Amino acid sequence: MDEQILIEKLKQGDEAAFKQIVETWQNMVYNTSIGILQNAQDAEDVAQEVFVQVFESIKTFKAESKFSTWLYRITVSKSLDHLRRKKRKKRFAYMQSLFNAGNQTIIEVPDFNHPGVTLDNKERAAVLFRAINLLPENQKVAFTLHKLEGLSYQEISDVMKTSVSSVESLMHRAKNNLKKSLVGHYENNE
Amino acid sequence: MISQVLLPDNVKIGKKMKNKEYLEKEAEATLNCLDGTEKALPGPYLFTRVKAALDREEKNFWAKALTFMSRPSIAFGTIVIAVFINAFIFFEFRNESSPSGPEGEQQFANDYNLADNTIYDSTIEPE
Repeated sequence: MDEQILIEKLKQGDEAAFKQIVETWQNMVYNTSIGILQNAQDAEDVAQEVFVQVFESIKTFKAESKFSTWLYRITVSKSLDHLRRKKRKKRFAYMQSLFNAGNQTIIEVPDFNHPGVTLDNKERAAVLFRAINLLPENQKVAFTLHKLEGLSYQEISDVMKTSVSSVESLMHRAKNNLKKSLVGHYENNE
Repeated sequence: MISQVLLPDNVKIGKKMKNKEYLEKEAEATLNCLDGTEKALPGPYLFTRVKAALDREEKNFWAKALTFMSRPSIAFGTIVIAVFINAFIFFEFRNESSPSGPEGEQQFANDYNLADNTIYDSTIEPE
């Protein structure tokens, strides 16, 4: 069914249209959020939240941008919110552990293994994902959308509501920062 | 002779350069290791989960509204506002008494349309 018709039907509350929309875009939403969150369970939760939001706010979608761009925006913002909430909880748990020294131990998060990475690249990818985690939010989003979703700089600029030159600069800085931390990593593990 | 003296430093620098080159190559290779990565796929029941979440949210709306209303601060605030409005109305209109005596009767008659407007009420003077 045509995308426009699906959206119109969803605006009228058609459940079949909604099901088709979820099935068409679930991989894109999940793959984007798993790249940002680096956790499969969290990515599933966020994908669910994204589609609930789509159902509730489809009437506000004015078709000024592509539907996929709108969906990417919701996914990125929900993923970042989730990440912030998780960081806050982590900080709180750390503070608690300081006061209850000895009673609680902080569980180390294991390295993330992206399910789409080939076996011979698994080790390198784990190191790269650890470095990506240290990037500022907007660099992380731009890099993830480009590398994992294969979006062009133009498409990323539409999603992030910024200019193409800003995306170019974000990507340049992201690559430089990643290179620095990767060189540091290999230097320490020599 | 001279070359023998300089050799250890050159070797050191050479090793360092090689090491730096090696580290940068490794970093570059890692940076590009995500090229050609396949997309991660969600579990098979995402739509069912979304549907359940939507149903839950609908049910939760009234529960949330009731919980909100029964919060002590909200309930107490509502009571205070109601008492305040009642007190305001009471004190505002207490002093506004309606005029008494013939003036009051006239006003009452005018307000309720009790003026003599039927043919039987009016006195016709004989010619």
